[in-house]
Amino acid sequence: MSLTHLNARGEAHMVDVGDKAETQREAVASGRVVMRPETLALLAEGGLPKGDVLATARIAGVQAAKRTHELIPLCHALLLSKVSVDFRLDEAASCVHVESRCRLAGRTGVEMEALTAVSVACLTLYDMCKAVDKDMVVEGVRLEHKTGGKSGEWHRASEDVSATRDASENPSVDSAAIRVKFLAELREGLDIEEVTVPIASLTSPDVASLKTALEAQDPRFAALSAARILCAVNHAMAHEETSLSGGDEVAFFPPVTGG
Amino acid sequence: MIDVRVQSPVFDVSEEQRQLLTGRHDIGAVVTFTGLVRDFNERPDVEALSLEHYPGMTEAALRDIAGQAMTRWTLDGIRIVHRVGRLSPSDPIVLVMVASAHRRAAFDACDFLMDYLKTRAPFWKKEHTASGTYWVSARDSDARDANRWEEA
Repeated sequence: MSLTHLNARGEAHMVDVGDKAETQREAVASGRVVMRPETLALLAEGGLPKGDVLATARIAGVQAAKRTHELIPLCHALLLSKVSVDFRLDEAASCVHVESRCRLAGRTGVEMEALTAVSVACLTLYDMCKAVDKDMVVEGVRLEHKTGGKSGEWHRASEDVSATRDASENPSVDSAAIRVKFLAELREGLDIEEVTVPIASLTSPDVASLKTALEAQDPRFAALSAARILCAVNHAMAHEETSLSGGDEVAFFPPVTGG
Repeated sequence: MIDVRVQSPVFDVSEEQRQLLTGRHDIGAVVTFTGLVRDFNERPDVEALSLEHYPGMTEAALRDIAGQAMTRWTLDGIRIVHRVGRLSPSDPIVLVMVASAHRRAAFDACDFLMDYLKTRAPFWKKEHTASGTYWVSARDSDARDANRWEEA
């Protein structure tokens, strides 16, 4: 294994990608900003002096992905087909999880774009909240997985030493798998409460592919495709195109009837 | 300001109101909605109700709904308590309490909170009757009620 950004004389150079085949590339990176519970609560309520923190950090992340080549010396300028930046507020770990997904059809990977988007979104969260909390820590910025290109598919194997609090408290959390729960009438109809699906078994990491994979496993799961059945990913309402990554919790359930 | 709970024990309306108002001298109106178990619903002889929820998401959904009310109206506090488990006719199921300087905001926000809670918070009811047990179906009228707030 050699470093491709160094030439035969050991000097830094930009790799000529002209001969590489164009393939669909995708990369997902994540990171988090750990903050005081009061700061997280203010963020959730929209009570911070600089205004809508998450919307601002999302735009910052998207803009940063598009300008990665200006920041990282030997990166190519890419025509990204998609950049998303998502946030999940985690009260238990008192942090905001940041995840970015970048896609393009091209000759070079998009992991630097995804990592840059996460980094800048985290820094923007810091900037937006620093008036009330200077102790915040940006940590765990890392590539989660990438697909396409010569090196094919790569997934982070397991949680590293700086594993999230969730994972260290609950050793059964498998970062390369998705937990799927079935609730209420759906659970009784299927007679199944929960299954685990390896993320690698999905043709693409989203809810639609998860349904397809489940149905291939057991025809009873065709019930999940009924129009009335709802879906949530990590406790937020989701749809067919919602993207999934290892460690996610997906729930399927019928229309709600509380109150 | 926002306090949401999901619990099986019964709640005490006056205690909830006392906690909501403690130390406040600027609140002019408190509107409280209490939902009760009826002995007639999809069938005429409901003997009991079981309520299921999705721990984690339910609390987050209730906080989100309360947050939306806070941005739509000028409010001083919201308390939502929803019970789960097995309940009998006449038992209280849900409490929504809204405090504001003026009554109109409190009335409207309480109405909004119940409409959104019924159509967005993950709870499911199962009714037990003499003639059998079944999951309660979602009502179109609840969806229509919730839609009223979209147009504004």
